Amino acid sequence: MIELQGLTKTYAGKNVVEDVSMTLETGEFGVLIGPSGCGKSTTLKMINRLVPLSGGRIILNGDDVTELPAEQLRRRIGYAIQSTGLFPHWSVARNIATVPQLLKWPKSRIDDRVDELMAMFHLDPAEFRHKYPHQLSGGQAQRVGVARALAADPEVLLMDEPFGAVDPITREALQAEMRRVHRQTGKTIVFVTHDMDEALQLATRIALLNGGRLVQYDRPIEMMVKPADDFVREFFGQADLGLKLLSRRWVHQYQRPPSLAHHATLPGLDHCWRLDDAGRPIVLEGARLDDQHRHTDVRAEWIATPEMSMKEALSRMVWYRVMVLPVVDETGKLIGEVGMQGIMGIESDGGLHAGEPAS
Amino acid sequence: MSGAARSARQLRAASAGNGVLLILIALLIALTLGMAQLEPLFRALFPDLGNPLYARDSFLNLMLAHIGLVLVSSLISVTIGIAAGLFVTRPVGREFEPMVSSLAAIGQTFPPAAVLAIAVPLAGFGFTPTIIALSLYGLLPVIQNTIAGLGTVPQTTLEAARGNGMSRWQILRRVELPLAMRVIIAGIRVSVIINIGTATIGSTVGAKSLGTPLIAGLVGNNLAYVIQGALLVGLLAIVTDLLFERLERRYAFGG
Repeated sequence: MIELQGLTKTYAGKNVVEDVSMTLETGEFGVLIGPSGCGKSTTLKMINRLVPLSGGRIILNGDDVTELPAEQLRRRIGYAIQSTGLFPHWSVARNIATVPQLLKWPKSRIDDRVDELMAMFHLDPAEFRHKYPHQLSGGQAQRVGVARALAADPEVLLMDEPFGAVDPITREALQAEMRRVHRQTGKTIVFVTHDMDEALQLATRIALLNGGRLVQYDRPIEMMVKPADDFVREFFGQADLGLKLLSRRWVHQYQRPPSLAHHATLPGLDHCWRLDDAGRPIVLEGARLDDQHRHTDVRAEWIATPEMSMKEALSRMVWYRVMVLPVVDETGKLIGEVGMQGIMGIESDGGLHAGEPAS
Repeated sequence: MSGAARSARQLRAASAGNGVLLILIALLIALTLGMAQLEPLFRALFPDLGNPLYARDSFLNLMLAHIGLVLVSSLISVTIGIAAGLFVTRPVGREFEPMVSSLAAIGQTFPPAAVLAIAVPLAGFGFTPTIIALSLYGLLPVIQNTIAGLGTVPQTTLEAARGNGMSRWQILRRVELPLAMRVIIAGIRVSVIINIGTATIGSTVGAKSLGTPLIAGLVGNNLAYVIQGALLVGLLAIVTDLLFERLERRYAFGG
C-alpha cells in the first residue's frame, strides 16, 4: 500500500503540484493522467524522489519513507521509463540485474531471478541473455525495462509513460502483457500516461490531474459515469463513452459456450462452428449479416481471446461483418464464443458495477 | 541476416586491419634495430654526404627516449585533463566549465617552441621543460573530449540510473564513464599523436628523442639524418594511431 499525503512541488514560487493526496491499496494499478503540464510526471517522480518534495509525506506499507536516503528508497521502488532508459553498454541480463546487484544479492540468486523474469516476459534466455539493447526491437527493449524494474521484487512499481515511444500495435501487445504481469505478480503499480485508452486498458484506479491538483481519483467506470465536474466529463469525452465502457469489459465476462450444432430458430442467430481434429475453429456456418446461410472460413484476424477487450471484439465483428467471434485459448482450441447480442449486456449490469478485470 | 552479414564484413575488415598493423609494427621494429643495415642505400641516395647514417646514438635508444617523453607527458595530460573534465561536469564544478575550457584552449594556442623557451629558464635544459611543454599542449583534446563524451550520455539513461537507486559515484563509474569512454579515448588519441610529433622539438633544448637526428640533420644540412628521424617518428605515430583505433572500437556500444 502506498499513501501520498499532501504532495506539493514548488518551482520558483509556483506550485506545479499542489497538495496531492491519494492511497493506492496493495495490488492496485493506479494511473495518473491529465493534460500536459498537469503535474502527473512530477507527482510520480516525487514518489521515488527523483524530484525532491517541497511538502508532503510518502507512506510505503506503513513506513514513513519521506526521510529515507533516496538511494535506499529507490531500491524498494521499481522504476521503468521509455526503452532508451536501458543501459546501452550492458547486456539484457545485466540490465535486468541492476538493482539486485546494487543490493549485493549472491550471483546464483541474481541469475535465477533474471531467468525467471525473462520467462515472465517471454524472452528466451538462451537468445536474449547476452544481447545488447541496440539489438532489441522497441517492444523487446520495453519488456526488458519493465523486467529490470521488477527485478528486486519492489514494493511498488512506478512507470513513467513507458510505452510512449513504441508503435501502436506493439503498445497494445505491451498493455496486454502488462495486465497479465500485474495479475501474476499482484504488484502495486503507479503508471503515468496521457493516453486515455491506455489508462482505461490498465487502471483499477485513475487519478485525473489538472494544473497540479488532483481533480478526481476513482475507479475508471465511476469516472466515466459519475464525473466530478465538467473538466472530468470533457476529458473523458462524451461521444464514444459507450465504446470507452466496452474497452473496460473483457471477452471472458461475455463469453458463452460455443454453438456446435444448428438449433436456433431465430433468423440471423442460427449458426454453428466446424472444428478441426485439434478442436480449433475452421468454419463458421451462418451468423452473417449479408447471407445467413453462408459458410465463412475462420480467419486469425477475427478470433477473440478471453483477455481481449469487448471494444476490440466489437471492432472485429463490425470490420469482418460477422455476428459472432470464436473465443480460443492459447493453443487455439475453441472454448467459447462472443456475439453481437452479448455486447448489449448479457450480464445486464447497466455498466456500473461489473467490468473490473478479474485479478 | 543483415546483422550476420554486417558482422562478417566487420570481421573481414578487422582481420585486414590486423595484417596492416602487424606489417607496420614489424617495419617499425626492423627500422629501429636495423637502420645501420640501410647505410649502403643512404650512401647511394646521398653520395655527397660523408656520413649518411646518424651514428652518435643508437636508434633504439632514441626511440625509447622518445616513447618515454610521450608516455610521461601524455600520462600527465590525461590525468589532469580527465580530472578537469570530470570536475566541470559535476554539479559543484559546473560554473568553472567555461574557464577551464578557455584555459585549455590557450594552452593549445601557444606554440610548443614558445613554451619551451619559457620553460627552460624555469626548469633548465633537457627532459623537464619538454615534458611541461608537451603536457600543456596535449591537455586540450583530453579535456574537450572528456566534457563532450560525458555530454553524450542520454538524460534518460542517467534518469534510469538514478531511478534504480545508484549513487552518484556508482552512476559515474558504471554508466557515465563507460559510455563516454569512446569519445574520451578519441581525445587521448589526438593528444598522444600530437605529442609524438611535437616531442621532436624537445631536442632543441637537449631532451633526447627521435628529433635529435632530425635537428642535427637540419643544422648540419644532412638530409639523410632528417629522413631517418622523420621516418621513425612517422611510423611510430601511424602505429600508435592504429592501436588507439582498435581500443576505441572496443567501447562502441551499438553505435
